[in-house]
Amino acid sequence: MTGGETYRFETDVAVIGGGTAGLNTAMAAAEAGCRVLVVDKANIRHSGAIGGGIDHFMAFLEEGEDWDTRESYLGYVGRVARGASNLAIHDAVFCDELTAAIERIESIGVSMRKPGSNSIFRTQSMGQPGPYWINFDGKKLKPKMAREVSRRRCQVLNRVQVTNLFTHDGALAGFTGFNVRTGDFYVVHAKAVVISTGNTNRMFKAQTGNPFNLWYCPANTGDLHRAAWDAGVEMANMEYVRMTIVPKGFSAPGFNAFFGMGSRLVNGLTEPFMKDYHPMGDRAPRNYMAWAALQELKAGRGPIYMDCRHLDRTELEHLFSTLGIDKDTLPEFFIAKGYNLKGTLIEMTVSEPMQARPSELCGSGIKIDERCASNVPGLFAAGDASDQMGCLHMCVAGGFAAGRHAADYARREGQLRPVEEKAIAAERARVFAPLARNAGVPYWELENIVRFVTTDHFGPVKTERSLTAALEKLDALDDMRERLVATNLHELMRVHEASNIQQVAKITASAALFRRESRFTPYHYRADFPETDDANWCGLVGIRKGDDGRAVTRFEPLPYAA
Amino acid sequence: MPPVIHEERCNGCALCDRYCPLDVIHMENNIARVRYPDECWHCGVCRQVCPKAAVDMTFAPIMLAV
Repeated sequence: MTGGETYRFETDVAVIGGGTAGLNTAMAAAEAGCRVLVVDKANIRHSGAIGGGIDHFMAFLEEGEDWDTRESYLGYVGRVARGASNLAIHDAVFCDELTAAIERIESIGVSMRKPGSNSIFRTQSMGQPGPYWINFDGKKLKPKMAREVSRRRCQVLNRVQVTNLFTHDGALAGFTGFNVRTGDFYVVHAKAVVISTGNTNRMFKAQTGNPFNLWYCPANTGDLHRAAWDAGVEMANMEYVRMTIVPKGFSAPGFNAFFGMGSRLVNGLTEPFMKDYHPMGDRAPRNYMAWAALQELKAGRGPIYMDCRHLDRTELEHLFSTLGIDKDTLPEFFIAKGYNLKGTLIEMTVSEPMQARPSELCGSGIKIDERCASNVPGLFAAGDASDQMGCLHMCVAGGFAAGRHAADYARREGQLRPVEEKAIAAERARVFAPLARNAGVPYWELENIVRFVTTDHFGPVKTERSLTAALEKLDALDDMRERLVATNLHELMRVHEASNIQQVAKITASAALFRRESRFTPYHYRADFPETDDANWCGLVGIRKGDDGRAVTRFEPLPYAA
Repeated sequence: MPPVIHEERCNGCALCDRYCPLDVIHMENNIARVRYPDECWHCGVCRQVCPKAAVDMTFAPIMLAV
């Protein structure tokens, strides 16, 4: 099999990744009068992290309390995301866009308010100085954003996996992809491209051994982190290995719901232990919770449990309901496990690690400036695929900002650039080659090996030796990529995913090797440099592909108020 | 595991096939089939979009047993 028809598209702004950030990017670019093309590996109506629903959105609302101001919020960002969040960019892509973001969500038919009321239900967790989390029913948020994108006359290519980016004279020219059902091949020329493909999952071992039983979306496999890398794009915050607390057996979200509603973590002795690790206890930033849980388990005081026994009936009902909004199948999972929330301790565990942002207040990936632009002219990034945005609130607000800037660039200086026919032919051959192989390595075998190496060597504890060993082992897998085999288009998609995961793992290990300190422990925990060293390392590790294919790293300090 | 399709209720509308974010469900002879049950993320979208209540969500034994 050699693939189907080749189709060519020309557009002003192309958005790769139709999740929350990408759809808001598309809305903005369309509003600015551009032709917009959205490309997604699945269907935008239900793809990505919030395709099944979402219940939390962070915001300061300036309703009168001291903590509820822009200044206080940015102070919180500076404390909790120190060394990863660029406050000037955060201000521009989030704070400036927040009011419009909330209005946009409500205008497309999703209420952020309590049913039958004008007031907003707000909860507090993750180190916040006040209840910044808006708790709402976002079950339909993704379909309604997708409908709005269509209403604004954006073109959408669903079920297309983007395989590579192409530049011309150093500027973005376009990209290629294939339809995972038909095998058709696409060549897209765009004046501006926004990458919004999220983080990289399936890179580390998962708790039940099934690599799809994950907290974040298992379809997000760093496809465009890898393609951007090959195109010379600089990335940042790639060293962080994110982890959270999830129900034992099912890596489902709900952290903010549980802790926001007042639940407590206890150990196997039924002792609430968080106060031993952070003054804010169960309201501490997420990385402290993960670290504390890891320590309790290591000390033999496991299992760890979520204790909601002290919540009253109304709180429990609200909790149960909101958990189901964020993860459709979680309430029934608890019932199947015999938990009824009341009077029961719910066993939890530390989730799988993943290449992702160290906090809710930044991203990890393509390094962007205040205009969401990367170092490659014409290439922008939004959402979790960028280094400065992540989490629903930043994706809605910042995604829109990226669309405005990309549209601005497309109109002012963008032009359609050529991609060499030879390059397109070579790419098409590369994309479909695994289908032509009679024998070889199935995608899951490469992925399994990668997961062993990453988890053993930097999932999450790192040392210079472990990271160096990891890079040697990951490098040795390079030629296995050329032997991957697929027997159908679904497997072909997985082959490319596995290949991308293996390459992004190297970027993560290389960035981690460069940062000789610990930060957001355990997300970047160097056993050989266990302290946070703000004097030397309060800032970003920029990383890009050098001429010899190896990582080129640099440090960029970030300023914060004292 | 994953979704279980009640074939007698399935009307072949293919919405579950179209919207599964992990490409797990493929129509075969106009009936939805969970072709890659191990790749299910348990997002519940298939059940959400089914107009015939033909989708039940189940959990792999290991998820419930550990």
